[in-house]
Amino acid sequence: MIRRMLVAMAFAVVPVAALAHHNMTALFDFNDRVTLNGTLTQVDWRNPHTYLTIAVQASGATESWQAEGPSPSWFRIRDIGKTDFEGSVGKALTIEVSRARDHSRSGLIRTITLPGGKVVSACPQNC
Amino acid sequence: MKTGDRLAIAVIAFVSALVPAAARGQELSAEAKSKEAAEARTKRNALQFENNATTIAFFDRSGKRTGTLGERALYGETVLSPDGSRVAVITRDLENESADLFVLDVASGAKTRLTKTPRTEFAMAPVWSPDGKRIAYVTIKKGQEGIYVRAANGEGSEELLYKNPGAFMNLNDWSSDGKLLTFAVSDMKGGALYVLPLDGGADRKPVEILKSELRMFGPRFSPDGRFLSYVVIDQANKAEVFVRSLDPAITGGPWQISDGSFFSSGFWRRDGKELYYVARDRSLMVSEVSTTPTFSFTKPRVLFRPPSAVPPRIAYASADGERFLVLPPPRGPQLQQLTVFDRQGQVVQKVGEPGMYSQPSFSPDGTRLLVLKGDLQTAQQDFWTIELATGKATRLSNDSNPKVFPLWSRDGKHVYYASLRDNDIAIYRRLSDGSGTEELAFKYTPGAAVLPTDVSPDGKYLVCDSGGVILVVPLAGDPTSRKEIEYLREEFSDGIGRLSPDGKFMAYRSDEAQPERGEVYVRPFDASTGKPGEGKWQVSKDGVNAMLHWRADGKEIFFRGQNLESNELLVMSVEVTTTSTFSAGTPKLLFKLPGPIGGNLGNISNDGQRFVFAVNVSAASNTDSR
Repeated sequence: MIRRMLVAMAFAVVPVAALAHHNMTALFDFNDRVTLNGTLTQVDWRNPHTYLTIAVQASGATESWQAEGPSPSWFRIRDIGKTDFEGSVGKALTIEVSRARDHSRSGLIRTITLPGGKVVSACPQNC
Repeated sequence: MKTGDRLAIAVIAFVSALVPAAARGQELSAEAKSKEAAEARTKRNALQFENNATTIAFFDRSGKRTGTLGERALYGETVLSPDGSRVAVITRDLENESADLFVLDVASGAKTRLTKTPRTEFAMAPVWSPDGKRIAYVTIKKGQEGIYVRAANGEGSEELLYKNPGAFMNLNDWSSDGKLLTFAVSDMKGGALYVLPLDGGADRKPVEILKSELRMFGPRFSPDGRFLSYVVIDQANKAEVFVRSLDPAITGGPWQISDGSFFSSGFWRRDGKELYYVARDRSLMVSEVSTTPTFSFTKPRVLFRPPSAVPPRIAYASADGERFLVLPPPRGPQLQQLTVFDRQGQVVQKVGEPGMYSQPSFSPDGTRLLVLKGDLQTAQQDFWTIELATGKATRLSNDSNPKVFPLWSRDGKHVYYASLRDNDIAIYRRLSDGSGTEELAFKYTPGAAVLPTDVSPDGKYLVCDSGGVILVVPLAGDPTSRKEIEYLREEFSDGIGRLSPDGKFMAYRSDEAQPERGEVYVRPFDASTGKPGEGKWQVSKDGVNAMLHWRADGKEIFFRGQNLESNELLVMSVEVTTTSTFSAGTPKLLFKLPGPIGGNLGNISNDGQRFVFAVNVSAASNTDSR
């Protein structure tokens, strides 16, 4: 951990765009994992974070969850584009998140399994 | 930063001025763009390797360098086996964005690979079993952190010891009886130390030893297993080595061993009679200790300080206390000489003596430099101003909080900077003459990184970067209630916003054209709203790293590029006009400097005639005699 913390503290030496925008542990509980199986309903593809909205069936009702992901550039560097997600709107996917500390229906994306089965890991940034 | 071969110098081929950059971009298919980006990434990785790859060095107890180990690589943690015959080492793979565990044989240099992690995942934190036959380590697999163990000779398969439901676990030690592991979990909310019994099978449960609002790391057992050394980082970002008892029957403690540690774990000698750590000035310290009947220790003394003006950090101590591992800087010890260049790249002034300098910038009137200066004795960085005519230096800050991005106000009376306090980054300001106290200038969303990049010419706005978003902050009113305006938030990473002298345009860096490679763009700035107006112009074509700056008359923009093959920094200039609308000429090279080198926003005097850099110079001539 100290290695990762020291990296975070040495923010002077990394490009601004490479910085994690938030102190993620302040907002999300990395010990509280939730796996969401549902339908992707919305994609917000802007800095500093992408947001995926997913409709999840729970106890006969539909819950809307918001999953916060890395920046668009983070995905671009890894050859994953906006179209990969926009093309998945209306389709089933699985997202594993670290749940928000305020217990709202939101979380920080750890992994995404796209409709075609492709697994996108947001590690190590979000793990 | 490194020794070794340099890549051949290549000639920069600028795109013809007659071919607009946007048109060139349109000619490229998506596939060609992707290929171009991949090739650029490969070059960047090669450069990063060249600048940072090193070998492992051994020092003996007298501070004499006794040998090296391993081929040049990007090494992380290095851990000696109990008998000292092998080193477990984490090695980074830039192309795969991963890190893996290897074992190096000290005598032969033979390398055995123990892990092969998928892209973006990594292994870390290796610890040896007391008999030296196995190594436990942490890896993240598909987002799941776990402790694994494998035979040190690479045979057999790895075994999962513990699946961490959370994150930020760092493995540190294996008890001498083989029954326990120690690990720490720390984040910006605090830390905890754990012991993991290994006899629990698949349901192993860690036992919490200590929990704190302060961050902690590096728990290591005393050889008799009765005590634990560990490191605590306080709110002022100072690290200290402590020892506490694991036996409830033993009273007293915890005992603070260090008086300033350079974020170093404590290392016990095998007989339990000495404890080592690295002091802030990078000296290797030793305390004579006893663990019977209870813990006692002597005031630490310097065992040795690696013989250099800029000593490398000791990374690990052997169990017999006779050998110490070091990752020396690739280019040898380096200091920085503040150096002023003219537009042709000729040196016109060297300011002061070499030191640990970074991020120099000219005051608006060009008479002073603002610079971040490191102190090797205290491991502290502070802001200083230096008068160019006399060399007189004035200290502006004196604290251990990490701070970056010093920025002059337009009238030169204040300096703004970002600093980490209480786990949050905020922007502060203080008077540039060294008087007065620090003031909060802007605090953004809790936990969000925010960095100052400019103050508007009328002094009404502070321009900031935050996670690829450009913010402008009205400076009127109570600093604690200032509210940002999003000047530019899009799917590309935008930053380094710099307003034109007439306040009508914002130059900034964006990776819109290619991931990981910024270019300079300009958009209108509406001072009445803090928002962009209509229009956007791409100014550069071949990449921009930093140092975006307008000449005071608004007729020239400077920026810094980089030759990814030669490692040279390219100081670039482009003529522009801001009357009625914006237009830009063709960027031209002013001069080159050998990299790597730090940069900042204000390296350039407002008249565009002088450029200041903290140029790396060998510290060998300053080598301490021992």
